[in-house]
Amino acid sequence: MLLLDYQNVLIESLLKDRFSGGPPVNIDQVVSDFDGVTFHISTPEAKTKILVSIAVKCFPELVQYGAQAVLEREYGPFIVAPESGYDFSVQVDLENLPEDQDAKDDLVRRISLLKRNAMAAPFEQAFDEFHKLQEEASKYTSEAAPQGVMEGGEVRAIHYREEEAIFIKASHDRVTVIFSTVFREETDRIFGKVFLQEFVDARRRAIQNAPQVLFRNDAPLELQNVPGVNNSGSGEIGYITFVLFPRHLTNQRREEVISHIQTFRDYFHYHIKASKAYIHSRMRRRTADFLQVLRRARPESEEKERKTASGRTFKVQS
Amino acid sequence: MASQTPAVVMDNGTGYSKLGFAGNDSPSFVFPTAIATKSQGGGAGGSGSGRPAVANKPSFLTGGAGPSGHLSGKRGTEDLDFFIGDEALSASAGPGYGIHYPIRHGQIDNWDLMERFWSNSIFKYLRVEPEDHYFLLTEPPLNPPENRENTAEIMFESFNCAGLYIAVQAVLALAASWTSSKVQDRSLTGTVIDSGAGVTHVIPVAEGYVIGSSIKSVPIAGRDITNFVQSLLRDRGEPDSSLQTAERIKEEYCYVCPDIVKEFSRFDREPEDRFRKHIVKHPNGRSVTVDVGYERFLAPEIFFNPEIYSSDFLTPLPNIVDTVIQSSPIDVRRGLYKNIVLSGGSTLYKDFGRRLQRDIRHMVDARIKASEARSGGAKSGGLEVQVITHKRQRHGPWFGGSLLGQTPEFRSYCHTKAEYDEIGPSIVRRFALLGGPGST
Repeated sequence: MLLLDYQNVLIESLLKDRFSGGPPVNIDQVVSDFDGVTFHISTPEAKTKILVSIAVKCFPELVQYGAQAVLEREYGPFIVAPESGYDFSVQVDLENLPEDQDAKDDLVRRISLLKRNAMAAPFEQAFDEFHKLQEEASKYTSEAAPQGVMEGGEVRAIHYREEEAIFIKASHDRVTVIFSTVFREETDRIFGKVFLQEFVDARRRAIQNAPQVLFRNDAPLELQNVPGVNNSGSGEIGYITFVLFPRHLTNQRREEVISHIQTFRDYFHYHIKASKAYIHSRMRRRTADFLQVLRRARPESEEKERKTASGRTFKVQS
Repeated sequence: MASQTPAVVMDNGTGYSKLGFAGNDSPSFVFPTAIATKSQGGGAGGSGSGRPAVANKPSFLTGGAGPSGHLSGKRGTEDLDFFIGDEALSASAGPGYGIHYPIRHGQIDNWDLMERFWSNSIFKYLRVEPEDHYFLLTEPPLNPPENRENTAEIMFESFNCAGLYIAVQAVLALAASWTSSKVQDRSLTGTVIDSGAGVTHVIPVAEGYVIGSSIKSVPIAGRDITNFVQSLLRDRGEPDSSLQTAERIKEEYCYVCPDIVKEFSRFDREPEDRFRKHIVKHPNGRSVTVDVGYERFLAPEIFFNPEIYSSDFLTPLPNIVDTVIQSSPIDVRRGLYKNIVLSGGSTLYKDFGRRLQRDIRHMVDARIKASEARSGGAKSGGLEVQVITHKRQRHGPWFGGSLLGQTPEFRSYCHTKAEYDEIGPSIVRRFALLGGPGST
């Protein structure tokens, strides 16, 4: 498993099971997803009405960047008033499902992507802004462009975890996505550095089409005037910058790019942990090898005094 | 709710792993504890465990490259090429993958595979960042402390999980029985009969502590019942006697009868009511009808009369339970008889608990009568025998974990990452008793 899935596996399997016509049962489950997202799947009114609610830490920020519109586009008729304690709810009625299988699968897929879609709003907005700016910028030569066009739009900040945030900034020739990451563990930080170095190298070596990746410990220039950016440079916090070029931002690539970049942090942490597991297994292997060597080095057991059944001893005559 | 992430409860058994979040009434995922890895084609003496080859000499002796020149291998992602759970089973059916079961007899056997199994279950299935969550894991009774330490090393050092609690499955099964209406006081004293796929354990627990010296296991469990059903189907020459069919029949039709002789005659008297037909649908569209007869009550009967199935193990389950309690300290025996809790898939047969209770009570009453006669006139106050059947039996330990993991004080019982860093793996040798007196 190299890449993480974007959808929530539990929601997917649960809805698939329900949609395939099993007998309706009560469901009441609270499950977590990455980044402190909580889902609540329940059947409060009737067994056939499944309510899926989501709680996201940074929902007010997402709404500010147009999450409501995105969610309405995706879930239109299924939206209900949000359950108390949650930010957004959709409800599916099992007696009122689309007829053909493809539409059902599509609905399952869309609902299991609830988190992805909620988080996608600021990206979509930034991508739209990029297209607008690009159009505008094409009217000027690079020297003559007015102030606003040259510098690009505002920085959208999503504080999706307590100490970490995503910053998105659109300008006329690129969209910059910056992740701030905090590593609590010394070991993780080192692994992380190696990984990011590898990202930078990969672009240099083989994959020219990849977005540019930069890693630094102090806040990049794009974030200079953003409030709330910790600029202590203490080494605990790191900034990873992805520069998305126009070829990543075409309409047909857009969905994929948003999904990929959202899971970046989880992907990153997953791989740090997977490499630790790999190294651990090498360590275990090595220990086993060393133990084998030690066992071989044990001196031959010396000849012991042997006794007969009655307890008498005798020596071998030499 | 949003401020505190729910604890992750993982119950990794020999046959199935149960994963989910505390507070829910059923696990989110139940799948086989199996992992399919790319079988190494005799790769550098790999002992089939999927471990990466290690250079014969440390790299500083060979100038960094290593004698086998496996530097190129380091760039690969072979160690990520694996599947767990149901996907593992289907992958192993195809070419290229070999299937492994990292847990044997309830204890973790292969730590490399288990580490990867955990990483995949956390990231792919549960989708949580382990740093944000507390974890509740389970262990079998009599798990050596070294295994606990290994578990803690993996959980804290690989995954950096926020906190960890390792609970004994039997104790969690007792906690799960609190949902039954028969249980008045939430005590952690009782006898747990845990019957899964591979083996049946009878475990006495006194105030949350397992009485290790009295544990007995019975080599008869779910798999044996399936085999027995299969052999009965074969003997009759049914059109389909595959293991899957036997398993379906076992799960759907079997029950425990009070008396075999009477049940046989009842079957003969009213055949249309008792005999059933099981329809097996093949994937190619054909369907076969299999008759279901005496195996309906004979299959679970091997717990009570093992001689009909095996020739080397002959003690019935009620006798084992009685022996276990009699070998426990005398001051807890009353509590052990009063609270016999069932757990695991093979205890789900209808009337299993009732039959067990009756048989044990007969034994106890006979013993009391005998001692009354011997004492010459003294009267005994009697002894209460109660077998508790409840709705959460199937995933008993998981549900108990979910129940205890959602209590507000759960986190104070856990060992945190900071404590682990301070003291080291030996910290997990002791845990305060979760759900013990004064906590709930």
